[in-house]
Amino acid sequence: MCRITQEPIDVRALEAKVAGASNGAVLTFVGQVRNHSRQREVAYLEYNAYIPMAEKQMRKIAAEAKARWGVDVAIEHRIGRIELQEASVVICVGSPHRAEAFEACRYCIDTLKETVPIWKKEVCPDGAFWIEGEDAIQAQP
Amino acid sequence: MPTAGGLSNSLTGGKEIGCTAVQLFTGSPRQWHHPPLDPEVAAKFRQTQAETGIAVAVAHDSYLINLAAPDPDILDRSRKAFRRELDRSEMLGLPWVVTHMGAHLDSGEEAGIALLIESTRAILEETEGMQVGIAMETTAGQGTGLGYRFEQIARVLEGAGAHPRLGVCLDTCHIFVAGYDIRDEESYQKTFAEFDRLIGLDRLKVIHANDAKKPLGSRVDRHEHLGEGEIGIETFRLLVTDPRLKNIPIIIETPDSETMHAVNLAKLKRLAAGGSLGMRVTVRFFGHYSDFSPDGMEVSVPGGATVASLSAILAEKDGRLAGIERHCRAAVNEEYVAPDAVLQEGDEVAFIPPMSGG
Repeated sequence: MCRITQEPIDVRALEAKVAGASNGAVLTFVGQVRNHSRQREVAYLEYNAYIPMAEKQMRKIAAEAKARWGVDVAIEHRIGRIELQEASVVICVGSPHRAEAFEACRYCIDTLKETVPIWKKEVCPDGAFWIEGEDAIQAQP
Repeated sequence: MPTAGGLSNSLTGGKEIGCTAVQLFTGSPRQWHHPPLDPEVAAKFRQTQAETGIAVAVAHDSYLINLAAPDPDILDRSRKAFRRELDRSEMLGLPWVVTHMGAHLDSGEEAGIALLIESTRAILEETEGMQVGIAMETTAGQGTGLGYRFEQIARVLEGAGAHPRLGVCLDTCHIFVAGYDIRDEESYQKTFAEFDRLIGLDRLKVIHANDAKKPLGSRVDRHEHLGEGEIGIETFRLLVTDPRLKNIPIIIETPDSETMHAVNLAKLKRLAAGGSLGMRVTVRFFGHYSDFSPDGMEVSVPGGATVASLSAILAEKDGRLAGIERHCRAAVNEEYVAPDAVLQEGDEVAFIPPMSGG
């Protein structure tokens, strides 16, 4: 239900994993690559992860959401080179009712950004930058 | 030590890696019958021991022998085979044959211990006048195996008349998985005090120093390299610096003997000399740090090193890594830890800069 992948994410397939018959709501969040960041034009992104730990942390998030809201969660995060408008992360939440789904989904993406060891490198026309929290650090060519 | 090519090769092999004590099988451990020991082989062994200066060599008996077997035929074969073990060791001049006490095989602990006492008495009587003694080994308590409680060993000792040729071999892995904690000084002292009270430290003749793959009380016997298992290196430091044990041979029975006995022996020697053990840890870098070291690195750190002291070592190696501990959180074996977390041999330490997933 939670994994890091090199391939484009199949959103419908991920939704199907949480679309059990007892769930009245299936909510999907898609994070996609945008064309600008920090007043710079972005050409594409390169994501890196500490894969085993990242998957472990993603499973923890899903388990916590299940414990708090009783929802089913599936998360996939893509790594490697990702083009503009392609999905970097997809979170699917299946829940008997919509309110819990919205709350849980918000929790999952917010927590993922804080605890899951994944980093993006923004590749811009004038160079590449590692994004580390608020910092953008020039990457070595 | 391996005896391939001749019994005395256990001594020369031991000498090569720096042993002062060795343990060997004097016959194939999975066979009942062995041709009698050739006196020339015995003479060569004694001569080799003198030449190599190996202070103590002890034997371990065959795995087939069960001196508590409820089946009279098996019991008889076991007693005869054990008698031959003693004969061979006597010829070789070995002071002790280490034996797992036996298994009652569902005849019950009482019946098993009664048979063990009877077997031990009979064998001692039959071999009266010999020098070689029987060292009953503490066991892990797998299945119906006896000897996993000090009380059981004490009963056999007492039942056999506390004979001077009866001793005990303490195996650190076995007692630990049998439920005796020895992981820190307090538990180590408590366990040895109990051994002394029930059995007597004067009966302790051989020590098997093995770490354990399985947890305390699991009663599953799987040996691990020293300091890399559930017991941890501190116990072995206590063992080799314990003044009460300084004249007792320590035998290592860990996996991959050909390559790793030398490594484990070196650890014991360093601990005995009061040195702290250097450890190897793997360090991984992410974010912009991965540009400096994309594949991570292996680093040697002193025993007791923490994430913080590792950071200082890294800064010395590569100035660009200075301050990494302030910019990053640390994870050890894929779990977040505080900077004062103590590292263990083989740990994977990851420095996690502020993340940007999503």
